[in-house]
Amino acid sequence: MKRRDFLKTSMVGVGAAALGSSLEAAQTIQPIDNRRVSKVAFPEKRPMITYSDRPPLLESTRDVFAQGITPNDQFFVRWHMPEIPTHIDEKTFRLSVNGEVKNKLSFSLDQLKNDFEPVEVTSVLQCGGNGRSAFKPVAGGVQWGNGAMGCARWKGVRLRDILERAGLKKDAEWIGFNGLDNAAYYETPNFVREMHIDELDDHVIVAFEMNGEDLPYLNGYPLRLVIPGHYSDSWVKMLSNLTVTSKYQKLFFMDVAYRIPDNDCECEEPGQKFKTTKPIDRMNVKSIIGYPTNNTIVYHNSHITVRGVAFDEGKGIRAVVVSTDNGKTWKEALLDSGKEGRYAFREFRFRFKPQKHGKQTIMSKAISLDGKEQPLASQIKWNHGGYKYNGVDVVTVEVV
Amino acid sequence: MKKIILALTLLTTLSFAQVKEDIAVPYIPYEVKMGKNFIDVQANCLSCHSFGYIINQGPQSRKFWAGKVKKMIVHFKAPIDKKTANLITDYLAAYYGNGK
Repeated sequence: MKRRDFLKTSMVGVGAAALGSSLEAAQTIQPIDNRRVSKVAFPEKRPMITYSDRPPLLESTRDVFAQGITPNDQFFVRWHMPEIPTHIDEKTFRLSVNGEVKNKLSFSLDQLKNDFEPVEVTSVLQCGGNGRSAFKPVAGGVQWGNGAMGCARWKGVRLRDILERAGLKKDAEWIGFNGLDNAAYYETPNFVREMHIDELDDHVIVAFEMNGEDLPYLNGYPLRLVIPGHYSDSWVKMLSNLTVTSKYQKLFFMDVAYRIPDNDCECEEPGQKFKTTKPIDRMNVKSIIGYPTNNTIVYHNSHITVRGVAFDEGKGIRAVVVSTDNGKTWKEALLDSGKEGRYAFREFRFRFKPQKHGKQTIMSKAISLDGKEQPLASQIKWNHGGYKYNGVDVVTVEVV
Repeated sequence: MKKIILALTLLTTLSFAQVKEDIAVPYIPYEVKMGKNFIDVQANCLSCHSFGYIINQGPQSRKFWAGKVKKMIVHFKAPIDKKTANLITDYLAAYYGNGK
């Protein structure tokens, strides 16, 4: 910690103390990890941790992250609107392109699959609120554990290629994305997202395939926007419409939701909202242990292979380090080849032989190529939306 | 040979769309607490989201719940009048409150 940071922190501490006990002091702990999967399976999914059926909110369990590719039927689900089409006819479905374009076009699924160069990218998809249950006092929103994320091989066409076909007009600045989900009330804002033309690179694709299959309905069949490195709030599902505009449109899901304090620590004190905010934008560096899971019973002196995944916004992972002595010392884990590319989960593994009986913690910390590393949960400061949790992962097993 | 070709054609066709019919999203009967003003909660909250959204927040202060109800009205345009908003907040604070 730099001295200036320390001073700032202590000032905040004094401030909170002076205000007395009416304000609950913020602290960050490990996200809730013991939630059980539901007895009920959703369409094309295995039973998952289920927060809501309408809109569907499903979370992957920790063990899913022992592997670098998340199976479609275990991939997390998050919708914002209660009305989701339960049937899409692949023959009549169209993706429309309109607004500030030379030719207003609409494409069938067959056209998208056959008339464009297909491209593939392996990328992590993570909710900005993943791990939100770590924040105390409770930050508004779904109290996710660690499993509002996954990594898949996405196949589709470049957004740029689609827009080129339509031809952008000179004053085109923003692209608005809308899907087929709807609110219960006409007045409720649609889940529309916007992207500035400058952010458009070749990695942004309109995907029609996920891990070699159609996208599951609950993950956005038949088309979904894929924006590697960015949180999933921009990855519009059941994408049906692209509107190009010259001016930014005011939108709830852009201007109010999915925003964090616009300061260096991206933090604020509970009850004292920081006055300016910014979008959650790109993902920070993170690792999760997929095996063992909490409360696993392992034998003393047995050989354990700890497995997990690490990722960041696409800068790349330099190392994952593991500690089995509560963070006193750290050893490097083995990383996979990285052949899935810089936006994908990197698998790590670490051999470990527990020597002592009783509770044993295993901690993992990812370090990115640009030198960023995961802070301890307790070092992460509060924000009102509970976004971007990326604490060092901790799993506790029982050695017998 | 003819048979084999037919079988292959069938397989290819099937792989285009995995689900050709309506999908059915299951209904989950959440164990929500019954009590005063429950009827207002049922009439107003359920049109947009399940009780899972409420239960998942854990026990919270009256101020927290009042803020949530306000968010539904201001940002999500839920047609809830002031009186009903208070009734809903009363229910949430009473049955999903933390005493604050």
